[in-house]
Amino acid sequence: MDYLYDGTFEGFLTCVYLHYYEEKATGIYAAPAEFGGAAFIGAQPETGYQQRLGVPFRLTETDAEKAAKVYEAIPKKVSDFCLRRCYQIFLTSVPDKDNINLQYLRLAFKLGPGVDSLHSHPVVYAAQRAAGKVSWEVDKLSGLLRFSVLGEQPGILYGPVTPDHDIIALLGEHFADRYKEEAFIIHDLRRGKALFYRPDTKSWAIAPLQKKDLPAYSAEEQQWQRLWKHYFDSIAIKERINPRCQRNFMPVRYWANLTEFSGNPLDR
Amino acid sequence: MEQWYTKLQILADGAKYDASCSSSGVERKNTGRMGSSSCAGVCHSWSADGRCISLLKVLLSNRCAYDCEYCINRATADVARASFEPEELADLTMEFYRRNYIEGLFLSSAVERNPDYTSERMARCLELLRQKHGFAGYIHAKIIPGTSPELVARLGALADRVSVNAEFPSKKSLELLAPRKTFDDILAPMGQIREALEERRHLPGPGAARKAELTYLPVNDPLRPDAFPVAYERSLNYKDRFAPAGQTTQMIIGAGGETDRQILRVSDGFYKHFRMKRVYFSAYIPLNDSPNLPSLLTPPPLKREHRLYQADWLMRFYGFKAEEILDGDDPFLDPELDPKVMWALRHLDQFPIEINKAPLELLVRIPGVGTTSARRILRQRRMAAVKFDDLKKIGVVVKRARYFLTCSGRYYGGPQEDPLFLRGRILAEERLPVAEAGPLSREQIRKSLLPIDDNIQISMFQMGTEGSHGLLV
Repeated sequence: MDYLYDGTFEGFLTCVYLHYYEEKATGIYAAPAEFGGAAFIGAQPETGYQQRLGVPFRLTETDAEKAAKVYEAIPKKVSDFCLRRCYQIFLTSVPDKDNINLQYLRLAFKLGPGVDSLHSHPVVYAAQRAAGKVSWEVDKLSGLLRFSVLGEQPGILYGPVTPDHDIIALLGEHFADRYKEEAFIIHDLRRGKALFYRPDTKSWAIAPLQKKDLPAYSAEEQQWQRLWKHYFDSIAIKERINPRCQRNFMPVRYWANLTEFSGNPLDR
Repeated sequence: MEQWYTKLQILADGAKYDASCSSSGVERKNTGRMGSSSCAGVCHSWSADGRCISLLKVLLSNRCAYDCEYCINRATADVARASFEPEELADLTMEFYRRNYIEGLFLSSAVERNPDYTSERMARCLELLRQKHGFAGYIHAKIIPGTSPELVARLGALADRVSVNAEFPSKKSLELLAPRKTFDDILAPMGQIREALEERRHLPGPGAARKAELTYLPVNDPLRPDAFPVAYERSLNYKDRFAPAGQTTQMIIGAGGETDRQILRVSDGFYKHFRMKRVYFSAYIPLNDSPNLPSLLTPPPLKREHRLYQADWLMRFYGFKAEEILDGDDPFLDPELDPKVMWALRHLDQFPIEINKAPLELLVRIPGVGTTSARRILRQRRMAAVKFDDLKKIGVVVKRARYFLTCSGRYYGGPQEDPLFLRGRILAEERLPVAEAGPLSREQIRKSLLPIDDNIQISMFQMGTEGSHGLLV
């Protein structure tokens, strides 16, 4: 039985529940658009699901109770680390991530807390690599995110990003603490959604956002951007120029949203 | 704002030769109004030279009263001069920080009038940041040799990390090239900082630690039990706080005539006596034509700097002692090969290491095995023996490590039945004298480690020795 879910983490966990309590899963996939799967936020454009001859599929209904059971069972029977890893795998754009995740969870429930020590086990290795991509990108983007100030004083901080993986939720805590008195938006341009933080309630939430809904730059913004670019250029030691080293640390795919390389991020 | 462009250009230009840019060593939530700090540090960008930009690295002023020969800002140099007002720099830092351009401020300065005048202005700038703006981000403050102890204490209370530049690895070069700076002036604040740090760390009893609002997370590094604990700050309580991220220093490489051995010994001294977090090396870039300095055409010794950093890592994370790293005849590190391979080649009698038995201290000595992969090996072998094929997935650089380890007693250094390999062995035997002949020369080692042209993989182990590593051949 192939289980198709609605693209939410709870939906995925429901499928894991069904795998254990109903029919065994041959695969778990986010439901493609023609099944009504893309209606939720953060849908992967490509779910990777193809109907296979002789393998029935089932559109599962996300069930909070079933999901909660699995969610609570993981830290109890395996470890907190495993739950975190499972969520990280869920957020990746790695092809077939849900099946990597399913195999990983099956092994984890079988072996218990020791599962993550088996670094070279093919299932754990795949899981570790997929999860590593997410934590790597979170680390990178917490530095490479650039805010611009929109609107009049004090203004809203607006930070566009195009992450490979669906990670803006993982940036929330870091920035909500760091800029606790600022209103800010972290906009995932690739997935058309954004993280909104409100300083008055000190809370954040994720919702769809289109670029055209945004106010204009604050009056001083361009000057600060120019000043930063200026600093960026002056700080390089010309006797040591090393573009390859630079690109190694800062992959070119992130450059488009960096103030130091681009013009006005709202113009693009 | 126009005047800021020129100022920023001049003062960033003057500061860029400072090597340190790390924002690590202290874990702090937002205890003020804006900012936080993470123990691992965050890099925000990488400039065209490939160095990370984490902190806004600027001088408060480049109007220098000193005339140090190696320095771009020396009094007699023909460069544009500028100074920031403390208020200006505090505002600039906040605006940059707000846009997530930077992780904090690295504040240094040329000696304007005298050390105390300059340090006073630096302290004012940091006070504005911390108190007026409620800035809880990272601050690294440079201490100018000759600053009065009161000002050092004031800066330390505001900054997360402080550093005094050692400038040169020997007294001789310092006296020759920086006549107004003396070794005593440099060591005095270092000693003061160490004492202040020790005082904070030796607060008696858990009650006192709570009062100080500063507790320490244990460092997860079994290799260096004496390493600094990581500070975790609950609030910005200036009364009891002093540079929670410790102190660092930096030395210029390649301007004086020091050998790598001397440099490593000096930096080991800094780690031991002053309990420094880091010693930075900065390849000398010729900026001034002087008979005492390398000519203007000398390229900066970047390779050498790189190897020195690798050696530094061996000391800080791999449990190597400074004397061990260069225990051969040559007082310089090999520019072609990393110091760990060089060490392993000089100590082949200690290899191969059995990865399923060896303790962590030995595992990390295998070239190609890092601290992460060594820990993974430890973890995995508790569940099941580590096989050779597992090593790649664990993160070991197999092509280098294979000559130095065994997996469950088997050695994978080369295909023994291959006739080409046998030929290579004989060739190697000619090139490699047996251990009694003393340490290997650089050329021999290089030849023996690199595969020769026609894809013959040569083992660099001494051939023909029996007993202990009969498995090798």
